[in-house]
Amino acid sequence: MIFWEIFKMAANALRINRMRTILTLLGVIIGVSSVITIISALDGLEQSIKSELEFLGPSTFIATKMGIIMSDEDFFEALKRKPLKYEYVKAIEEGCDKCVKVAASSNAFNTEIKYRNNKLRNVLVRGSEYNIIEIIDFELGQGRFFTHEEDLTRRRVAFIGTTIQDELFPGVDPIGKSLKINNIKYKVIGIAKKKGSSFGNDADRVIFIPYHTFVKQFGHPRGRLAIFVKANSVEDVPDAMDQVRVILRARRHVPYDKKDDFGMVTADAVMAVLNDITRFLRLGLVGISSIALIVGGIIIMNIMMVSVTERTREIGIRKSIGARQKDILLQFLYESLIQSLGGGLIGIAIGVILGKVLISLMNFNMTPSVFAIVVGLTISTGVGLFFGIYPAMKAAKMQPVKALSFE
Amino acid sequence: MSLIETNNIWKTYEMGAVQVHALRGISIEINKGDYIAIMGPSGSGKSTLMNLVGCLDTPSKGEYYFNGSRVSQMEEDELAMIRNKEIGFVFQTFNLMPRATAFHNVELPLIYNGTSKEEREKKTLKALEAVDLADRMTHRPNELSGGQRQRVAIARALVNEPSLILADEPTGNLDTKTGLEIMQLFSRLHKEGNTIIIVTHERDVATYADRILFIRDGRIEKDEIVSRNEKKANGTDI
Repeated sequence: MIFWEIFKMAANALRINRMRTILTLLGVIIGVSSVITIISALDGLEQSIKSELEFLGPSTFIATKMGIIMSDEDFFEALKRKPLKYEYVKAIEEGCDKCVKVAASSNAFNTEIKYRNNKLRNVLVRGSEYNIIEIIDFELGQGRFFTHEEDLTRRRVAFIGTTIQDELFPGVDPIGKSLKINNIKYKVIGIAKKKGSSFGNDADRVIFIPYHTFVKQFGHPRGRLAIFVKANSVEDVPDAMDQVRVILRARRHVPYDKKDDFGMVTADAVMAVLNDITRFLRLGLVGISSIALIVGGIIIMNIMMVSVTERTREIGIRKSIGARQKDILLQFLYESLIQSLGGGLIGIAIGVILGKVLISLMNFNMTPSVFAIVVGLTISTGVGLFFGIYPAMKAAKMQPVKALSFE
Repeated sequence: MSLIETNNIWKTYEMGAVQVHALRGISIEINKGDYIAIMGPSGSGKSTLMNLVGCLDTPSKGEYYFNGSRVSQMEEDELAMIRNKEIGFVFQTFNLMPRATAFHNVELPLIYNGTSKEEREKKTLKALEAVDLADRMTHRPNELSGGQRQRVAIARALVNEPSLILADEPTGNLDTKTGLEIMQLFSRLHKEGNTIIIVTHERDVATYADRILFIRDGRIEKDEIVSRNEKKANGTDI
């Protein structure tokens, strides 16, 4: 009851000093919104990367020439490595009993795709073996994927993503039609299910063609060759990776005391690296933006100090008619809390909106971050309490006689 | 039992290395229903005495009993309770909340003791009626005359039905005519049974009271009963 009455007094005092209140709010709004923007943008980024990696699946890994590069040094060392050879696929199929599926794959970006007068540039063309569809997370929508036979006989057949369907074949059923990849005709035999875009990357803007057909048109992939491997089960992934490693080292004649001259990529390993990066981003960016928040808090404290001094006489009057120390404390604490929480709520709203705008600019998928909102509310309450308590105590501890005689 | 009993109270301020004795052993006794004036030149210690009697401050030495409870040893919040329930202050400069309406100003002491909303409304209206300002309750202090402001302050002092009304130079900021009206209001309140202490340096004001305490250099110089001849009209017989 009395708390509510005192709350009303505090709200009233803020209403009376409208300009001052708005300026104070602004300090908190800037701080909270920048923290929230950054947290939601980072969350969106992370989620996008995760969904991007999901196409690998938990039981799949890739052997490549480069692997995951963590430093400049590694990068230059890795450049000197010999490329993987297609024959390793057979070696792995034969030698790795924990592996169920093995497929070679390469890709080309420098492409021009045509269907009649429609043209698309820089489409990802993947040259893969027939069983890649069983390894990575691409599902059949219509038609069919190409067969082993078609691969070995280098047929010009294409399996396309939905973006290709929409942009190249508007209003036309693409199956059975011919498109041109860098002026060479391919017959469309199937369409993938829509995967959606993530991390600025449209996963459906892709064309799969048989591996050997790809080699014939684009030449040997050399450093671009990736070997996709699916293990028996998630539990078998470490064993399968060990077996593949042993096979590749033997094939590439790597001495026992030398490091691997190839790389192994799993979704988990990529995620771990990305987590490291986003953790640094998080710490750094949130750290920088919390400076804005601290400044907001200092503004609150500063304004409250001025307010307490300015209203010394009011405090004296309130005390003379029987306000206790806690009544005065509460009134001033409410004032700073209303400002910090109010600023916090507005800041969260702005931050979430800004985060969304940022993310849509970068073409991410994103869900609003509950975490960011909880953080925003907690921080702004904390700021209000932390920076509000001292001025409020100062007000509460005033001696009535001195306060009343204050001019 | 007397309402106020002070037993050799001292108030000493430390001014750097120097000790200043504002009060040097004051013993007074005031009963319920008394109308007392405290007079003295500036610097005599009369304001200090008023602060102590009004429980705004505690003595450095000596005992003070208010309504039987020992105030001299109380904590700040206990003093606040006494100020709220037992004492109504009227100040020279009115000391109203400038942005609040007359109604809210009078209501404020009731808020601090947790009175319910309905009860607050009833009591606030009653107090405003007692000072003839019920028709001005939505006005802010800057929309009221000096005399009206002081009457709002008096209504605020009355609203908790206190044991004591303590007025510090209540006519000091008013013209003679308005001052007269305020003093007549105090006389009426006294007739209705209120205990009143007025601090003043004007004998004209002091003679409204029944008894005058003269303070000089922190001591009681004289304790005088106002004679029938000198006694000012008390509201009814102007």
